[in-house]
Amino acid sequence: MASAMEQPGEKPVAGAEECGEVRGESQAAEESIEDRIRLLLRLRAQTKQQLLEYKSMIDASEEKTPEQIMQEKQIEVKIEDLENEIEDVKSNFEMKTLALNRMRLSAALTKNMEKMGAESSVLTDDMKHILKLQNLIMKSQEESSELEQKLLDVRKKRLQLKQTSRSKLLEIQTEKSKQKKDLDNMENSEVIKTMQKKLQMEIKITTVIQHVFQGLILGSKTNWAEDSALREIVLQLEKDLTTI
Amino acid sequence: MSVLRPMDKLPDLNAATILLVGTEDSLLQKLAESMLQDHCASELRVHLANSLPLPSTVNRPRIDLIVFVINLHSKYSLRNVEECLSHVDSSFFLGKVCFLATGAGQENHCSIHQNTVIKLAHTYRSPLLFCDLEVESFRAIVAQRLVRMLQICAGHVPGISAVNLLSLLRRSDSPPSKEL
Repeated sequence: MASAMEQPGEKPVAGAEECGEVRGESQAAEESIEDRIRLLLRLRAQTKQQLLEYKSMIDASEEKTPEQIMQEKQIEVKIEDLENEIEDVKSNFEMKTLALNRMRLSAALTKNMEKMGAESSVLTDDMKHILKLQNLIMKSQEESSELEQKLLDVRKKRLQLKQTSRSKLLEIQTEKSKQKKDLDNMENSEVIKTMQKKLQMEIKITTVIQHVFQGLILGSKTNWAEDSALREIVLQLEKDLTTI
Repeated sequence: MSVLRPMDKLPDLNAATILLVGTEDSLLQKLAESMLQDHCASELRVHLANSLPLPSTVNRPRIDLIVFVINLHSKYSLRNVEECLSHVDSSFFLGKVCFLATGAGQENHCSIHQNTVIKLAHTYRSPLLFCDLEVESFRAIVAQRLVRMLQICAGHVPGISAVNLLSLLRRSDSPPSKEL
């Protein structure tokens, strides 16, 4: 269910004519004319704006909409892209009007300065202050750019040092691993195995010879404990060669 | 007519029409009265409706702004509004639709979470206003806001159009995706 309510808008014509008894006749007529003119100007602005809206709707409807059925996610992305485009255009427009206004202001200012000459001390003081501040700004910008450059150099150096240290550590690591590999190889090599076998053989042979000599001396039934040289030889023959 | 279209009629001179859609008649009535009390140079017309589609028997002027009033205390109002949205032409959503959520002040009576309404407004790319329509002062403030919006949407303010206002009112943050 719907219901409608209306508010009577401003009726400036009627209002002015009603309180005409206080003011003079000509004044009231003038004011009513002024109000009428104001109303007309307002209506003119309104109709202009509404015409603009209708025109833009017509232009928009002439553009062909894509026929393919897009997924909801894609539609959302597209909508956001279009909204961003609108924002870009608006900000560009704002910047251009800003620049234009600035140019207009500076043109008017120069014209004013030429006209007034030495009388306008306030304006000249302001202009001088502005110039001082702008010089300061430029100087501090230069300084800041220099400092930024120095910072950049220091960072580059640090990066270089890091890189060289990294390479050095890598070298050390490869060297160590190589050494370890060589050691392992050496332990497993064939040469060492054959040498070890030969060593075992020699030890066995010498032990047998030891036992033979022992047998000889004991078999000869001499008292080897009395003679120091013989005692020394027998004790030496007792030594286990595998523990040497 | 089963679908509301924004530009199928010519505008009346110096007149702006707003359509308030919602389930709570008393709130709509109060809001309409506050809006009519506001001093504004254009002629204001306020139409109230419980649901769309509107009956085609009445001869009504071109509607410039539709405000969907959702009461956060009742799920029925949200469902009603969602059903009404299908009867509105898509070109209306270029700035001529506004969502108004009322009753956010009393947390313990709210049966709809705020994120639901925020998501709905984000899906339809329309501005969302929060207001407690029971309180007199808040109602007056929101009525003033709506009157200004209505003037812009009707084309009475030179230099701003409804689409322009929409991009000005756009929120920069996306709605939170987590729903309770």
